Amino acid sequence: MAEKLQTIVTQISQITAEFQRELAGAESRNDAEQLKLKYLSRKGPIQNLFGLLGTLDNQDRPQAGAELNRLKADVQKAIDAKIESFYVETASIESFDPSLPGQDWPVGGIHPLMVVMDEIKQVFAGMGFRIEEGNEIETDYHNFEALNIPPHHPSRDMHDTFYLGGKYLLRTHTSPVQIHVMESQKPPIRMIAPGKCYRKDTPDASHSPMFHQVEGLCVDKGVSFADLKGVVQAFALKMFGRDVKVRFRPGFFPFTEPSAEYDFSCFCKGKGCRVCKNTGWLEISGAGMVDPAVFGFVDYDPKIYSGYAFGMGVERIAMLKYEIPDIRIIYENDLRFLEQF
Amino acid sequence: MKVTLNWLKEYVDFSLSPADIAKILTMAGLEVEEYHTETRDFSNLVVAKVESVAKHPNADKLSVCTVNTGVKQLQIVCGAPNVAAGMLAPLALAGATVAGGLKIEARAVRGVPSDGMLCSEVELGLSERADGLMVLPENTPLGMKMEDFIGEADTVFDIFITPNRPDCMSVIGIARVLAAFTGAKFIKPVVKFSAPLMEPVEKSMSVEIMNSDKCARYSGRLIRDVQIKQSPFWLANRLHTVGIRSINNVVDITNYVMMETGQPLHAFDYDRLAGKKIIVREAVEGEKFVTLDNQEHTLNKEALLICDAEKPVALAGVMGGINSEVEDSTRTVFLESAYFDPANIRFTAKNLEMMTEASRRMEKGIDPDGTVYAMDRAVQLMEELAVGRIVQSCIDNYPRKIDPVKIDLSVGRINTLLGTSLSAQEIIAFFPALEITLLRQDGDLLHIIVPTFRPDLTREVDIIEEIAMLYGYDNIRFELAPKINQTQEQNPNTHFRDQIRYSLAGFGFRETISYSLISEKLAEPFLADKCEFIKLLNPLSLDMAGFRPSLILSLLTNVAYNRNRQMPDMRFFEIGNVAWKEPQQQGFTEITQIGAILAGKKQQQAWNAQAAGYDFYDIKGAVTAFLRKCGIHNFEQGTVREKIWDKESSSILINGKYCGAFGKINAALCSLFKIKVPDVYAFFINYQDVYENRATGLKYTAISKFPSIPFDLALLVDAGIALHDIEKEIWQSAGPHLVNLKLFDYYQGEQIQQGKKSIAFSLTFSSKECTLSVEEVDRAVKNVLSHLNKLFGAILRPG
Ligand SMILES: [Zn+2]
Repeated sequence: MAEKLQTIVTQISQITAEFQRELAGAESRNDAEQLKLKYLSRKGPIQNLFGLLGTLDNQDRPQAGAELNRLKADVQKAIDAKIESFYVETASIESFDPSLPGQDWPVGGIHPLMVVMDEIKQVFAGMGFRIEEGNEIETDYHNFEALNIPPHHPSRDMHDTFYLGGKYLLRTHTSPVQIHVMESQKPPIRMIAPGKCYRKDTPDASHSPMFHQVEGLCVDKGVSFADLKGVVQAFALKMFGRDVKVRFRPGFFPFTEPSAEYDFSCFCKGKGCRVCKNTGWLEISGAGMVDPAVFGFVDYDPKIYSGYAFGMGVERIAMLKYEIPDIRIIYENDLRFLEQF
Repeated sequence: MKVTLNWLKEYVDFSLSPADIAKILTMAGLEVEEYHTETRDFSNLVVAKVESVAKHPNADKLSVCTVNTGVKQLQIVCGAPNVAAGMLAPLALAGATVAGGLKIEARAVRGVPSDGMLCSEVELGLSERADGLMVLPENTPLGMKMEDFIGEADTVFDIFITPNRPDCMSVIGIARVLAAFTGAKFIKPVVKFSAPLMEPVEKSMSVEIMNSDKCARYSGRLIRDVQIKQSPFWLANRLHTVGIRSINNVVDITNYVMMETGQPLHAFDYDRLAGKKIIVREAVEGEKFVTLDNQEHTLNKEALLICDAEKPVALAGVMGGINSEVEDSTRTVFLESAYFDPANIRFTAKNLEMMTEASRRMEKGIDPDGTVYAMDRAVQLMEELAVGRIVQSCIDNYPRKIDPVKIDLSVGRINTLLGTSLSAQEIIAFFPALEITLLRQDGDLLHIIVPTFRPDLTREVDIIEEIAMLYGYDNIRFELAPKINQTQEQNPNTHFRDQIRYSLAGFGFRETISYSLISEKLAEPFLADKCEFIKLLNPLSLDMAGFRPSLILSLLTNVAYNRNRQMPDMRFFEIGNVAWKEPQQQGFTEITQIGAILAGKKQQQAWNAQAAGYDFYDIKGAVTAFLRKCGIHNFEQGTVREKIWDKESSSILINGKYCGAFGKINAALCSLFKIKVPDVYAFFINYQDVYENRATGLKYTAISKFPSIPFDLALLVDAGIALHDIEKEIWQSAGPHLVNLKLFDYYQGEQIQQGKKSIAFSLTFSSKECTLSVEEVDRAVKNVLSHLNKLFGAILRPG
């Protein structure tokens, strides 16, 4: 064995012995941390020996390297175990404090508007409605014309539309999805279309240029206004509980005839409050029997089929449910808002 | 549309409270948005006679008057130009409050004591007329309280009229509905007037209609010996309550009758019409015309003009011209009452952005049968108010007769569509209230005629709605077993998307919902080469100029918003649509994207942990875990295409296709979003690619019954070789029993030869058939080693 190698081996056993002695004397976590610093730092004795490897003969190097590596690993392991032992001791014997905070754990969440949207979808899915979706960029034909709203018709005033040029626009309601579905399928149809819509409304506490809607459509033989009332009532009960009452009153939409607005009884149980402006009723949205003109556009025979359609604003329901006073809060995505849900 | 309780009472006999009326009208489809009873305080306001008027010694424009309240004489300083001895006017005594909240007290005005104030209508809140004292009729008793003179406060209803109900843009129309829904009697005013002038009107006026498709009917009357003056108080006051300014007696009457009947009327100064002639024609493209609001308009050839023999004098159905309007000097009035094509009026009004009370009615379709009635109603009022003398014969040019609509109504259809069981007799009983005539009954079929004032009723279904309303929506039952269709499968696409939303929430991300409309400045860095931002033609603001091309854009906005509010740390995700325009594309590309962002600290300083920020491998871990949750266990990495990334970034390739990217957002982009500390990592993935590559049709795979054997392998390789390539080759060469491969150590630097890196894997071998022998594992490892050595020059790490 070469002399230089012998020196290193000797030093290894010296360091080992010294380390064992010091380790046994370590009485606290801090002592152990000091040891770690002393033996394993870059200027420590083990690292020093690594530095001598280069001075060895070629054939001796692997053996010395292996010995040193082993020494380093052993020291590391022993110190870690020692440090660990102090944790265990303090935790288990003396001052275990279960009231210390737990490890931070990331909390995700669903946006409250989407919680409501998901709930609506589930209720209708349970009643046999299929969820259908479409693009937010639509054509004038699908957003208006096929819904019996011809160009220059006064009822276009009710939809302040964002135009993109040519025949394109941002859909003002999710009703165009109904047209797409009817164009590609024959009755019976039973579907809802949830999604984003856009209208040129200046943002304020109750208006937003972007909002979410769920529209429903049912087309079959012999579908009646009474069916529409039944479905909307079933939705109201499932969403708001068995005490809620539903009221239909006349309304106007070019794509339904008869048309209706529907209201749910207020949470104040008709006593009158600020939310319902003392009427006892909360306006939810519109509904009606599909206008035969719409069937004309999708080639359904109105003599054979009838249908109903209904809509609802998701923001409106979420604002009622969570008592959110201003629609703009919904799109700010303030953590202090999101973390409440 | 505003209407008052007292005005309604002129046509329908009822004794309902305002609240009841609001409810009934709302349930009749005329939504009462708001109603209020006028609140006014007329205390200490009495009728007084001006007995003498003298000049104020210190002010030119003031007079000192002696007035008599019937009880005593008072001295009043007055500034009204029309004050005159002998007139009767309202007097505000000390203690009265006039409009604007001014408290009246006895005080000196420019050195002359005044016991109160003589008032104009505007000071009493009764009209906008501010040009002089309110003139009270000569026979009014002196000292009468103004409260008693004005009568009880009226209630004003503000009603939202849907576009299908032009008939209800009139007090008569609303009264008719109120009568129908209460069963009260509806009384349409009977028009009576004497019209003393027997001259044939044709001698003084002729009407020629060049475009009968745009002007189906044109009626007119001539009124001579006209005296233009102020309207009487009741007229000015009534117009005031429904929001119309009083102008003069003639104009006020035309406005009053329009509000009453829904028929817009226009009064011309006859002497300013050239050639005793009216010609109704289309404009010449580019023709100019000045309307009476003194605005010049350039017309296109669709616009319809009312012309005299030489020039246009009115924009049909929208507004009259300044060149022929009634003035104080007007002596002869030509009154127009016409029916114009609704679509054309709407087109012109929209085009010129001129929504007037007239055009709002014309564009929705007034009653073509109502032109003469309204015109006669107006001349009746002119006669009653001594405006002028009426020429008895009138003009009624009706080249394109609009016939009332005939409809066949099936009793069975009504009941099927409504879910009711009404008899034919019950249905027929609704007709009188709708002024529908039953021609005959033919078994199930009812043949009916619809009145011309209801242009919205053209089809059977329109009548069904009327019947439903009169029957009462409340009386239609709730069908508790509605027809259902259980033959449809759920939509796998929306179902999957909702699942991944909940997965991301489970990974600790919070869902956001952001505006899709954003500024062009923020969009630009997200657009691929030659792709264009989708701009709105009519944006609300520059901040909402167009459609977002990326979800990361929305997420950065949300980071900036929260950072500005001292909340630096967040994990957000959003799934939504993004869009852009490709080069030479006709339409647009709109796709659904998944985006997520990590910003700030992943670990806060805590009693048991050091604070730590996110790094590239955090976002990579998120991408890997997310895709694995979707059933996508492998993705390749490549170079990013977007301009938004720092050099610590990577694309996501699934089956070779570019599906998204992840990494650190570069500092320039952060500063564009005003994010000061650029410690933001993000990923985006195109939803459709995830959906198409998701795990479907999963089947159980048998689990090995035999123990697995671990083997740790530490290697030295050239630093430039990507880990991914080494892993790929290990899988290649380890044989069929390698089931897991994990990197557990990675080191570059001191103790290692320069240009090399040390990597250590933990390999797991297992077989489903047997317990593997140590020799089998050794063989596999040797094979791996020699393979890696050959390819990369990798060697076992010494030690
Ligand atoms: Zn309430």
